[in-house]
Amino acid sequence: MTQIQRRMLILAVVILIAAVLGRLAVRAVMNLLLGGTLFGGNFL
Amino acid sequence: MKKERARGKMMWGFIYVGAFIAAFSISAVAKMKIDPFGGKYEVRWDSTVGTNYTDLSYGDGTANKFDLYVPADSGKENYGLVVYLHPGGFTGGDKSGDAEMLQWLCGKGYVAASINYTLFGEENPNANVYTQSVEIRESIPFVIAEAEKLGYHIDKMAVSGGSAGHALAMLYAYRDAARSPVPVKMVFGAVGPSCFYLEDWINMGADPNKPNSVDFNEDYSGMAKLFSVMSGKQITSDMFETGAYLEQVKDISAAMWIDENSVPTVCAYGAWDKVQAFGASKRLDHALTKYNIPHEYIVCQHSGHGLQNDNAKYGEYMDKISEYLNTYMPVE
Repeated sequence: MTQIQRRMLILAVVILIAAVLGRLAVRAVMNLLLGGTLFGGNFL
Repeated sequence: MKKERARGKMMWGFIYVGAFIAAFSISAVAKMKIDPFGGKYEVRWDSTVGTNYTDLSYGDGTANKFDLYVPADSGKENYGLVVYLHPGGFTGGDKSGDAEMLQWLCGKGYVAASINYTLFGEENPNANVYTQSVEIRESIPFVIAEAEKLGYHIDKMAVSGGSAGHALAMLYAYRDAARSPVPVKMVFGAVGPSCFYLEDWINMGADPNKPNSVDFNEDYSGMAKLFSVMSGKQITSDMFETGAYLEQVKDISAAMWIDENSVPTVCAYGAWDKVQAFGASKRLDHALTKYNIPHEYIVCQHSGHGLQNDNAKYGEYMDKISEYLNTYMPVE
């Protein structure tokens, strides 16, 4: 694996983690206001 | 050479951070904005679907206004009226907030109405759930008369709402239906408080699988104040111990009015609701079951007051509304 391939892979992982955390953050705020569980039900 | 490598590392560091912030923000906004149902429960509102008449009056109060949505096809002999009452904790909200729902109902061929009621607040300290329910009751003849004036003869109705509006809808359906100018055929709504038992209202939002227990050594004066404000009647802490408060809250407890003549019901609740008592909804389900009333009691097991974490269940709720409307309010 070349260095650029490694960096692109890291970039993809960073984007994936950020996307998951973005949805979880909204869900967490909504749960704080309205009630609800952090996991289960909808995908995130 | 070393400097160049360090600069490259720094650049990629910035790229990772920038990508993280961008992906995080896009994902968060997408979750808030994208309709998970792809517009299934909406109509593209224009004159081919219907016409909207706003701020029609049903009384002298500034809040005594309603909006009417009438279908484009005005050639039928009779129409069903569907009233949808807005949410807002009895203290906020407006009839314009549910336009999409009303348009959807109108698109199905119903005359749809959204009715404002006097909200509790500094300007109206004497408004409460009971006075609001009376306003709704008094508004219905005006809504029907206005529809008639526009050429839509109403021969049956359904009443519905969200949260506070759902509570008022249930009061009309279970307590006041006999006084309705046209037969009430069904009620639907989500997350509306249906009754006010102390044990349901303490520890709201806690694990729904664990029972709430009342400890009379605790201070429940806050709850007494809340129930007093909502009912417009004096409720004191000592009434909790004797159970005397239940008579005081009966007029605003829709579930306590259910009997064998009650109308078919579709309702949805969030098991982790922090805003109203989930336990109260179990009593609603129990009463409807006891009197063999056709009903759908949909529980969103991972959600709170917004039913926000169970899209599949929310879709089921909307589909059941359609199914019940087709059955109990068939469009001619």
